[in-house]
Amino acid sequence: MLEYAGSQRSGVRAERDAPRLLAVVRSLDWILVAAVAALVVVGLWAVAGITKFQLPNDPNYYLNRQILYACVGGAVLIGAALVDPDLYRRYWRGIFVGTAVVIAFVLLIGHAARGSTRWISLGFFTFQPSEFGKLLFVLALAGLLVERQGGAVSSWRTTLRVVGFGLVPVVLVFAQPDLGTALVYLAALGAMLFVAGIPWRHLSVLGAVVVLVVVGVLWVGPAAGVNVLKSYQQQRLTCFTHPATCRAAEGYNLHQSITAVGSGQIRGRGPNNSSQVKFGFLPESQTDFAFAGFAEQRGFIGAALLLGLYLLVLWRGLRVVTVARDLFSAVVAGGIVVALLFQIFVNVGMTMGIAPITGIPLPFVSVGGSSLIANLTAMGVLLAIHARGRVSRYSRRR
Amino acid sequence: MREEEPNGRQTTVEPYRVTPKLARRVALLGALVVIGFAALLLRLWALQVLSGSHYAAQAVANQVRTVRVAAPRGPILDSTGRILVTNQPVTSIELSPSGLPKDYATRVAEIRAIAHLARVSVRHVSKLLVDRRIHNDLLDPIVVRTEATRPMQTYLEERATDFPGLTLARSYIRRYPNGSVAAQLLGYDGQNTHSAGEVIGLTGIEAAFNTFLSGVPGEARVSVDSLGRPRSQRLLTTSPEIGQTVRLTINARLQVAAQNALGYGIQLARNQGQWAADGGAIVALNPKNGAILALASSPTYDPSVYSGRVTNRKLAAQGLIGNSAFTMNHPAVDRAVDGTYPPGSTFKPLTAIAALEEHLIKPYAFYPCTGTYVSPQDNSHRVWHNWDRFVNQGMDLPTAIAQSCDTYFYRAGNKFYNLPAGRGQPMQKWARAFGFGKESGSDLGPQSPGTVPTIGWKQRMWTKANDPNWRVDRIWNPGDSLNLAIGQGFLLVTPLQMARFYAAIANGGKLVTPHVLMDVENQNGTPVPTAAAPAPRPVAGLNPAYLSVVQQGLIEGTRDSFGTSYGVFGNFPIEIAGKTGTAQKTVHVPGYTGEKDQSWWCGYGPATDAKIVVCAVIENGGEGGSAAAPAAERVFAKFFHVRVPPTGLIHSD
Repeated sequence: MLEYAGSQRSGVRAERDAPRLLAVVRSLDWILVAAVAALVVVGLWAVAGITKFQLPNDPNYYLNRQILYACVGGAVLIGAALVDPDLYRRYWRGIFVGTAVVIAFVLLIGHAARGSTRWISLGFFTFQPSEFGKLLFVLALAGLLVERQGGAVSSWRTTLRVVGFGLVPVVLVFAQPDLGTALVYLAALGAMLFVAGIPWRHLSVLGAVVVLVVVGVLWVGPAAGVNVLKSYQQQRLTCFTHPATCRAAEGYNLHQSITAVGSGQIRGRGPNNSSQVKFGFLPESQTDFAFAGFAEQRGFIGAALLLGLYLLVLWRGLRVVTVARDLFSAVVAGGIVVALLFQIFVNVGMTMGIAPITGIPLPFVSVGGSSLIANLTAMGVLLAIHARGRVSRYSRRR
Repeated sequence: MREEEPNGRQTTVEPYRVTPKLARRVALLGALVVIGFAALLLRLWALQVLSGSHYAAQAVANQVRTVRVAAPRGPILDSTGRILVTNQPVTSIELSPSGLPKDYATRVAEIRAIAHLARVSVRHVSKLLVDRRIHNDLLDPIVVRTEATRPMQTYLEERATDFPGLTLARSYIRRYPNGSVAAQLLGYDGQNTHSAGEVIGLTGIEAAFNTFLSGVPGEARVSVDSLGRPRSQRLLTTSPEIGQTVRLTINARLQVAAQNALGYGIQLARNQGQWAADGGAIVALNPKNGAILALASSPTYDPSVYSGRVTNRKLAAQGLIGNSAFTMNHPAVDRAVDGTYPPGSTFKPLTAIAALEEHLIKPYAFYPCTGTYVSPQDNSHRVWHNWDRFVNQGMDLPTAIAQSCDTYFYRAGNKFYNLPAGRGQPMQKWARAFGFGKESGSDLGPQSPGTVPTIGWKQRMWTKANDPNWRVDRIWNPGDSLNLAIGQGFLLVTPLQMARFYAAIANGGKLVTPHVLMDVENQNGTPVPTAAAPAPRPVAGLNPAYLSVVQQGLIEGTRDSFGTSYGVFGNFPIEIAGKTGTAQKTVHVPGYTGEKDQSWWCGYGPATDAKIVVCAVIENGGEGGSAAAPAAERVFAKFFHVRVPPTGLIHSD
């Protein structure tokens, strides 16, 4: 029979065929679960050391909050793992509009306050929509991609439409201004197009456009007097290519970060001796430069352990792409994995001077509830995709 | 989703399967992950394992900062070792600019709180911060307040965590045990505007001998956090070297006496109805070598307003800025070296020397001293009066000096006017030879050169641009020569120049270089080589015989019963030689503009072997004998340890 994705009938069939809860639990990717759990634990360990000296009166303030967020995130992860990802495909429009509206709302508040605002304060918790936006954006665009694509993967029309939709949240986040998160969105967008199978021809054209835009914005534009980026953003992005001649603040940050990483040596200096973190030489040590603080305190052993866990999660994530039940799930998994990879690489690379300085938090480690909960939710979605894929395979076999 | 197997068979249970194409792409993503992580791990390895020790050393060096430890400035002593200026240790409040919040609003709030705490204006703090940013130096602390009061210190020590950028530090401020005595002479120190955090002498002795007084700052190592806040005690690596001790030729007791004498002279003048008398200067010199023994200027001020925190209010209370300077008659001006006045009759000895040297008069020939004089060459036939209109007798030169006969010197002046052009302007030449019209070359720093009017000077001063009658006004008239002969007209001198001139009379014709520096010592007592003051230099072409005639006139001035200073010095136990002066000067005092008499007295003692030259001027003080001479007498009395009774009214020129 002929059946189109997203049709009412397919939805009904999906519900009918929905695997039972037990089957889902049984087919969870327990290696991924263990890797994520270990990451969260290592992240809390890192936070415990890094934030020890932030508040003189309460060394455990940030740790306690982070533990709370981890618990909330764990609960959300379990919930997300149990939800059938097909739900997101069916309601991608709502997700897309909702996400865009919330991010735009933040942007408006920010403008009203005459400054950069990425957060909505909920009293005890400041909610950062753009962090959750990473996941929601992936879900919504995957829905669009699958619906538009059908099976004809080669039309420019489809590619451009997806890119056009995708640029809406990118621009909104960029205007906050939050360049780092905007770049994460772009990376995820590229990954989804890639996984969805658009032709290499399209990919290379898009890639060429990206390269042109980057070169134009960073080098040609300023030379011609056109500044798309604020000067500090541009400084931060290009600083790592010439750290010695870089303007004071960014060059200083990078210098202190590299010193922190290097001074950790093999075994680390431990929290009490980590002068870079303790005496505040390392800027933003609990958020953007968390990796440098962790590397100083726990050394190569600790940093390599953390990178190993990331590698494990990414490997299991890529595996999820291959076991996905349908194209939508595969695209979602691809987007999530590449967004994660991009954040890890740019953040860790930034602290060591091999990637531009952007305000991207380090997943599972940087202090911040929105980031941790959003990342755990994304892991939950990955687990759900894996489980459904496995279950549908079992049912196929049956 | 169209589910169609490659063989065309449609199925419902195989909705989606990993295509080889997707597998390839996932593999590519995997490769991307591997490459990325390989790069990260390699870089991590390079930083932590290969160069780890380098960065570990750098992290340690990061914490240790070398800070400058200010050196206390050297003390200033008088010739007998009494302290004129010394240091007082104080606790200052310092602020690390980098310790302030980055966010504008909280930053402003923090600066406000700090300013409020230190009781300084917000503008003061923000100005210092802006200065520091201009110099691009955000790590060295700024001094918010030099002396923190005891409550401020206690408060700050208790609430240290609330003000993370603030620290208390030890520093030194200048202390003046003698208060306002010699304030203008000693000067004050302050922040060097070119080098932040450095204190240098700005005026007076403090500036002139800054190289000796400013010590060598030391260095200390201190562990700091990223905001520059100290995390450890300072560990001195190089001790600061306290500045060298500068000993002045000033005698503190004589200086005090001179300051009091000025007040006494001003009071005397006021008692005699000279209501505008409100200032003056006294210079006391050693005529043998030019060492300045006392250099007083009135009104004076309390220099301690410049130590520590300088506020406009404190300065205004001492008359040091703006309008207050006018209402309080410019206390900041050192009248002894910067005040210029017509010298009046105290200048007559110079006229006498010049006239003798030019053979215009004979020392013991009698010339008429009349009540009036009219220059035959003067087309306007102006009548010039003697101060005593009823005199009519012949006088020799000593008597003319002693009785200060104006008409005697008018006649001499007229002879100068009548000299042929080929003889030049000898009176001005001799004036310059005795140091008038130029700086004294003393180590006191900048001084007024005064004015010795010449024919050329008049030509230069009156031009088409500044005077409609310039063709007439620029001409040198007989009156100009007459005025110059009695120290009036355009002639302007400083008290220091007059003292130098009288020193030359006293020491037999040697021009001394006035100086205040006696010696400089290290902290451990070893002398520091300094440039010695130039030796007294004989005035070229001066005939000692003529000089002794003038000396005789000055002695008669105090000892002869007709002498103008007889009333003051006639019975003084030590023989004093000296000359009064009453100079008309157009003055602008609050509420009055017009001619006022400047009261002068210059002289030396003992008359035969002078040990001290004193020159006193009381602004608007009336006649020389009634204000300046009694003031000078007080200085002599102190110097010779003589008690003198208060002086009554003396009528003189």
